[in-house]
Amino acid sequence: MVATETKQSAWVRKDPAVALAVLVIWGFLGLFILFPLLRMLAEVFLQDGRVSAAGVFTILQDPNQLIALRNSLWLATLVGVGGTFFGFLFAFTAARSRIPTWLSVAIDGVILLPLISPPFTTAIGMIFSFGPRGLITYHLLGIQGATVYGLWSTLFSEIVTYFPIAYLALKPMLLAIDPNIEGMALSLGAGRTRVFRTITLPLCIPGLANSFLLLFSASLADFATPLILAGNSFPVLPTQAYLQITGLFDLKGGAVLSFVLLVPSLIVFFLQRYWVSRRFYVTITGKGAGQTPFDSVSTLVRWILVGLCFLTTFVIFYLYALLLFGSIVRALGANHTFTLEHYRIIFTEGKKAIQDTLIIAAFSMPLGGLYGVIVGYLTARKQFPTRLSMEIVSMINYALPGTIVGIAYLIAFNSPPIELAGTATIIIALYVFRYGATGIRTTIAMLQQIDRSIEEASESLGATSAMTFRRITLPLILPAFFSGLGVVFIRSMTAISATIFLVSINWTLITVRILENITELSLGPAAAFSVFIVAAVFVVLGIINGVLHRFRTPGLISAERMMGG
Amino acid sequence: MKTFKILSVFSLSVILALGVLSPIFGADTVNVYSIWPENWARPMFEEFQKATGIKVNFVRFSSGEALARVIAEKANPRVDVLFGGPVETHAAGIAEGVFEPYKPPAFDKLAPRFKHKDGYWVAIADDPLCFMTNTQFLKEKKLNPPTSWEDLLNPAYRNMIQMADARTSGTAVTRIFSILEVFGRDEDKAFAYMKKLRPNVQLYTKSGGGGTLPVGLGQAAAGIFFIVDALDTKAKGYDVTISFPKEGIGSAAEAIALIKGAKNPELGKKLIDWATSPAMQSLFAKYKINFLPAHPDVSVEPSLAAVLKDAKIFPIDPDFAGKNRKRLVDRWVKEVLP
Repeated sequence: MVATETKQSAWVRKDPAVALAVLVIWGFLGLFILFPLLRMLAEVFLQDGRVSAAGVFTILQDPNQLIALRNSLWLATLVGVGGTFFGFLFAFTAARSRIPTWLSVAIDGVILLPLISPPFTTAIGMIFSFGPRGLITYHLLGIQGATVYGLWSTLFSEIVTYFPIAYLALKPMLLAIDPNIEGMALSLGAGRTRVFRTITLPLCIPGLANSFLLLFSASLADFATPLILAGNSFPVLPTQAYLQITGLFDLKGGAVLSFVLLVPSLIVFFLQRYWVSRRFYVTITGKGAGQTPFDSVSTLVRWILVGLCFLTTFVIFYLYALLLFGSIVRALGANHTFTLEHYRIIFTEGKKAIQDTLIIAAFSMPLGGLYGVIVGYLTARKQFPTRLSMEIVSMINYALPGTIVGIAYLIAFNSPPIELAGTATIIIALYVFRYGATGIRTTIAMLQQIDRSIEEASESLGATSAMTFRRITLPLILPAFFSGLGVVFIRSMTAISATIFLVSINWTLITVRILENITELSLGPAAAFSVFIVAAVFVVLGIINGVLHRFRTPGLISAERMMGG
Repeated sequence: MKTFKILSVFSLSVILALGVLSPIFGADTVNVYSIWPENWARPMFEEFQKATGIKVNFVRFSSGEALARVIAEKANPRVDVLFGGPVETHAAGIAEGVFEPYKPPAFDKLAPRFKHKDGYWVAIADDPLCFMTNTQFLKEKKLNPPTSWEDLLNPAYRNMIQMADARTSGTAVTRIFSILEVFGRDEDKAFAYMKKLRPNVQLYTKSGGGGTLPVGLGQAAAGIFFIVDALDTKAKGYDVTISFPKEGIGSAAEAIALIKGAKNPELGKKLIDWATSPAMQSLFAKYKINFLPAHPDVSVEPSLAAVLKDAKIFPIDPDFAGKNRKRLVDRWVKEVLP
């Protein structure tokens, strides 16, 4: 003990700025991550002041809830497999099929749409296209009595929404595999199928596993798509927890239901983060070898791949075109005369939601960006006790499905000592400590590429650690800061699963209004709101990308950093 | 000391966000949870502001959600008034101690079923349930509009009926109490009927009117809705048929209540005075809101009266409903929903 104490005080004396920073950050982590989580666990496991697992057992013995749990896991598995398939299809086509640049840019543009719109926007299109009187099922194909509610439509909608994540995760990896290796195998006489089977695919396995886990947790966290599309025959846990809380205000029941989700989510998250993502293979063949153009795929296969991608892209394009169309006609499906009425409504009656969302986003963005950079810098570059636990704790809110985090915040901050329910603060705090975590990852990744000796040189020349940070490190990690801003902004505009529990009479959000509009059947305003969100995100991302280019670090904001729900 | 500076900026902004961002509304704003959908509540509140100069700050929730919020915020109420929604919602709230009794000037004029005897809630409208079917569907399947609860069990409706989810919607709760009355309050028989109806139900919607558009568009064939939602669908131009079961169907009074511990009780009372008087209820016709007025001095709009002429409608007993709401909703969730 004595040894530890001297070590600790030595550490504090050596670098008081860092010590202070660590202390402050721990204060925030404790307040906004650990405290809500502990309050939720107390809600789950405390019964009349005594520890008891009775609540959890009641749920686990209720056959209906078990079905919901099984459904959730099954859906997540299917989304993981299906989404990874489509993601790989697109990534492989983009990396290996030598399609024209304009086409790949167009495809990229379209399949990014689901990533920057509220998670249930494709669900609206689904209902209009595939119901008993759906545009496609009835009007186009003449099928009567088609059912749109259930597993398949939910699955379809979630795959369309989340496969771009897989695409973004897999594409850089495929591009990193030197095509010359495949070329060598080809020239040594192997057939294209054999090359794909024995070289390309094995090199991709960690990436595929990574993408599966990403999609699995995205689906496990999604409550909005099932709420609209799953119907009553296919209940899933996040939706059940939501109805339990908002409808019956059974906080304990909702907490217990979401606790059941906590375990698989954490397992998947840490599996993805600390096992799979560290197993990427790198192919190094020496520089300057030059690339001989060759075809990894035969012409026929290439056309099949391009065709499949084109078809999928078209489906997404169709769903969003329908959304745009729905926002400018009187009543989609019934009266198709042109009108701007819905836009008038969202900018008058919906003005408060838009204002609130933008104010909250404006506060969350810089705070989330700063938080990410500070914690990322501390954990990647500084030695201090509790470093590893800080890194892990900072990821908790991000790793858990939004429903759990939202419920935890509601329980923790609904009553004294810290009463934040009904304020903007609670929503801002949620965004900062949930989505700011993506900035931590980016910062760490960025710092790992910057040689430490640059900083060491500065310090050995007599600069303090604060000065080194300001003069050396800060300029280097600015891109991470800006991409953190982008992620927090996207999430502030599109997230719903956590914030739906936190909106109030004073502060409401566009996404919550969209969901309310959908359940109230004002689909026109819902569509107009969604179009507004997509447009706003495009503008802000454009600005941030412009800034990033100034720092000569072009490139997309990577998949993992845009994740969440 | 850049780290330090950045950190202090960060902490300061968090603290600032903590304090400053709780908005301060003017003294003449009353905060309301509205159970009426926004397109009806908004014009009413605008007229109220015109008449009194008091602004209404409101959010819309389904009745279950609104009640849940009011209960959750009991220690520190964030609104002054719970506006609209079937009265069993308010009746259930009395037991939770969330309302403050208040008798507006119109109190003595109202029929007994339109007020709580101590003034915990007062009715602002009356709203019967009805059956609504897609006319084209009826033609295709050569069916007559349903005129009995038994008609809805017809296999022709398999997977084609939408109605509200009892966890969130007051429409659903009124429906369950209607069925209970039809079966002479024999719970087991009523639940047996609901279970028999289950295969025909395509979807239980979160909000009471959630199924009206699908029925209007033909995405669903039929549903059980409040007349106000059904007539609104018809008025929007959808080809739907409204009918009533011969065994009778329930009608819920739409109520308003003052929240206990309200921050602006005087403004809340003014809203209640206005909403329970002819001043508001005579505006229903102007905005094509097909509620029946609760105040006896306001006459029922003729076209609405014509629709209801031959319907057998019985009131839902608010006390009985309030006492049994939670238990029946729980039973519904366990037995009917899966």
